[in-house]
Amino acid sequence: MLLAIILILIPLIAAGLCFVSGKKIAPIVGLFGTMLSFFYFLYMLTVYNVRHELMYNTFFNWIPEIKGIFHVGIDGYSIIPLLLTQLVMLFSLLYALNSNSNKPASYFGLLLLTQAFLNGFFIAQNPITFYLFFELALIPIYFLVLNWGGAERKKAVFKFFIYTIFGSLLLLAAIIYIHSAIGANQLLSWKEFYFQKFPMHVQLYLLVAFFIAFGIKSPLFPLHTWQANLYSNSDKPTVIILAALMSKMGVFGLLRFVYPVMPAINVYQPTIITICIIGILYGALMAWRQTDMNKLLAYSSLSHIGLIAASIFVMNVQSIEGAMFQMFIHGLCVTGLFVVVGILESKSNSSNINDTSGLARIEPRFASYFFIITLASIGLPLTAGFIGEFYMLYGLSIDNILYSLFAGISVILGAVYMFRFYQSVMFGKLKNESLQSSSAINLNTEYILAIIALLVIIFGFFPGMWIDFAAFSFLEYSEYLPN
Amino acid sequence: MSAIIILTISSLLILFFGFSKQRGVILPLSFIALIASFAMLAMGNNFWSEYLTNMISIQSSSKSFALLICAIAICIFPFFHELIKRGNEELADFIGIILLSIVGAIIMVSYQNMMTLFLGIEILSIAMYVLAGANRRSVNSNEASIKYFILGSFASAILLFGIALYYAATGSLSVINPKLINSELYQFSLLIIFSGFSFKVALAPFHFWVADVYQGTPTLFVTVMSTIVKIAGFGAFAQFVLSQNSVLPSWINWFFAFIILASMFIGNIFAYSQSSVKRILAFSSVVQSGFILMGIINLDANNSWSLIYYLTAYALASIVTFIVVYFVEEQAGSDHLDSFAGLSKSNPVLAVVMSIALISLAGVPLTAGFMSKLYVLRNINSIGFTALMVIALVLAAVSFYYYFKIINAMFSPSGDRRWSVHFSYSAVLVFITIAIIFLGVMPGVLHGFLG
Repeated sequence: MLLAIILILIPLIAAGLCFVSGKKIAPIVGLFGTMLSFFYFLYMLTVYNVRHELMYNTFFNWIPEIKGIFHVGIDGYSIIPLLLTQLVMLFSLLYALNSNSNKPASYFGLLLLTQAFLNGFFIAQNPITFYLFFELALIPIYFLVLNWGGAERKKAVFKFFIYTIFGSLLLLAAIIYIHSAIGANQLLSWKEFYFQKFPMHVQLYLLVAFFIAFGIKSPLFPLHTWQANLYSNSDKPTVIILAALMSKMGVFGLLRFVYPVMPAINVYQPTIITICIIGILYGALMAWRQTDMNKLLAYSSLSHIGLIAASIFVMNVQSIEGAMFQMFIHGLCVTGLFVVVGILESKSNSSNINDTSGLARIEPRFASYFFIITLASIGLPLTAGFIGEFYMLYGLSIDNILYSLFAGISVILGAVYMFRFYQSVMFGKLKNESLQSSSAINLNTEYILAIIALLVIIFGFFPGMWIDFAAFSFLEYSEYLPN
Repeated sequence: MSAIIILTISSLLILFFGFSKQRGVILPLSFIALIASFAMLAMGNNFWSEYLTNMISIQSSSKSFALLICAIAICIFPFFHELIKRGNEELADFIGIILLSIVGAIIMVSYQNMMTLFLGIEILSIAMYVLAGANRRSVNSNEASIKYFILGSFASAILLFGIALYYAATGSLSVINPKLINSELYQFSLLIIFSGFSFKVALAPFHFWVADVYQGTPTLFVTVMSTIVKIAGFGAFAQFVLSQNSVLPSWINWFFAFIILASMFIGNIFAYSQSSVKRILAFSSVVQSGFILMGIINLDANNSWSLIYYLTAYALASIVTFIVVYFVEEQAGSDHLDSFAGLSKSNPVLAVVMSIALISLAGVPLTAGFMSKLYVLRNINSIGFTALMVIALVLAAVSFYYYFKIINAMFSPSGDRRWSVHFSYSAVLVFITIAIIFLGVMPGVLHGFLG
């Protein structure tokens, strides 16, 4: 039986089992749950027909009084984020197993709960279901950071939480408005929503609500102030989810919601893209000046996500192909990089890049994985990062060559800050003798890093199938775009 | 009607049992009385009302409100076992008074005549003044009682003034099919009557009593105050609006909008800076009242279920929060946020149920609180108050701040010794929490149940 809702149920049941099982069994149950949902999704993928619009549907009248319909299913857009979710959750759980800091059963329960809600988010097929999971996904993450993480985690997570709630309440207002506007008809799927023609001033209000809601979640430039602190104060498995998946929730939300407000976006395009480009450059420049590894990655994330958002706003086939592909690759790269940071932190007990150096000599395998992931993150040709960035910049240049010119600077800056990071950690004199004695990367982390390194190279050579997914899904909804 | 009679007789009996040595029967007897009156309401014949010249009628929406009041009272009832600690004489007094207050509440939601309304309000309010001062030796409790009494009497007087004007404007005290003799006078009477109602349900700017009274009143009785009084108040409010629907002037929506806005602002901003959990919950109840009032705008017989849904969701969450506050107070001696520190370690069950109740009050999906907010917000959006909806939601972000401040405190790692409450108390709390989640996951059920 192939139903999208099972992708929610598997982790949900596993989470329930984790909560009730003991400390010893919970990690195994959790790992089993993620594996199961991973392979279930792969099986779905083999049967999935890319030309078929929407598959594995489930819908029922969830809130009968206001015709609120619960609808999940898999369409072209959900494929790539779903694959990313299954992979990243697997890595995150593997990493959590490896860190020997004695995590209780509820930790794994919360991780699995996050996976269930994230899966639900990416397969939601109408605004109400979308909102349901958009807000639900926040709750387990909140508790994960609240209970496990760095010294200032409480302040950091509280800020993140209030920011995000503010955005999502604006989104709720927009959805209630849309739901009333559609009136007697049922809001079954995205198409009924995209079909709406709102007056220009309403579109503008909706656009502002969407931009704030998803801009906080991603985060995009003026709304990012929670990010660096949260990333540096959360536990590594959690920060992997935050950076690789929660940030995709924001851009994926933009992708889902921009269709009916495209006319307004086209009018205000220079302003919106300029904001995005400021964010791209600001993120890259800030990353350059960081000495804290977590903050460096946070700002580099800000820069990358800004580029993805900009290419979603221009909305042509190349930019969407690039954005979808880059969502996937950025998720993988940032997972790998945070695993690397986790290893470095556990070696030197510090997250400052100046406290570690010369590791390449004693950890050659680790150094090479790290190097491949760094290259992919920069976007070097023949790695997967290049494909995404190339398509996005090309898509931006179709609208205005200046957009891609300025956004392209971030690629150069990306090389600057990533190589600075790599160089100072891996080369130079082995400052701290204790680094030598401590154990090398263990089996779990090696698996994670090796798989990610392998994937970014494979996708760099053979991006075709995934680009096609994105292209077909773009065509699926392209009739709702204004001419 | 039979419910009112059963409850009155049993409350009088219980007051007498206070003198005798048969004190063991007080709690069972009152519980049976509550169950019996719930059953009587559910069977629901309106047989008695014609003997009372139609001054009371328990039908359709008033029946739902009355059933809700009884159900919530049954949910709170197990915790009154804690009252035994206070000594036996007091037990009889308090249980008797609480049963009487439920009588008042049922009368309030089923009146057909302004005199009956006033009677119901007074029965309920006087019972509450007594409960507020239940800790006779505590200054705070006395302060609460006196404050509540003076302000409450004032509000009752205002309401009575409104009733008099209403009589002058329509020539009758009956609320059924009002015929306007003097339209200006009628509109003025509406303003005054609504102000009186707003006081009873703690809507800004008539909320000034709420924080001090909640803080001073013994927490077990705050549970009654924040659930039964609120349901009864809004039930009376809704009955009045429903019966006057045909003649209500159009500006009344703007009046409601003003009160909603004021409640949102004042409640959220005052709750923001409190450090006593009871005060936070008191101000948050002002905000919640504002949300509930959104269900009263544009009320008609077809959408009264959204109001009942909200009241159910609010009452369930409110029971859990105040009962947990009660147990924490028993342990730590105060309701300050610091007493909640480390609750997740010292009593995980209470921490989890409290978190879910607070999450529901804040309005996260899959809890009853979210659904109820969705219904009322959609209601005000559909009559064109989109800006009000947006402002309410933006201010709700503030409410997340103070609800999660409590959750933050509970999950902070301060390694206190473990303590536990009696198993049956935990079981009831868990049961109510499951009900909160169930209502959020399957929102259609309650509506189907009410028909």
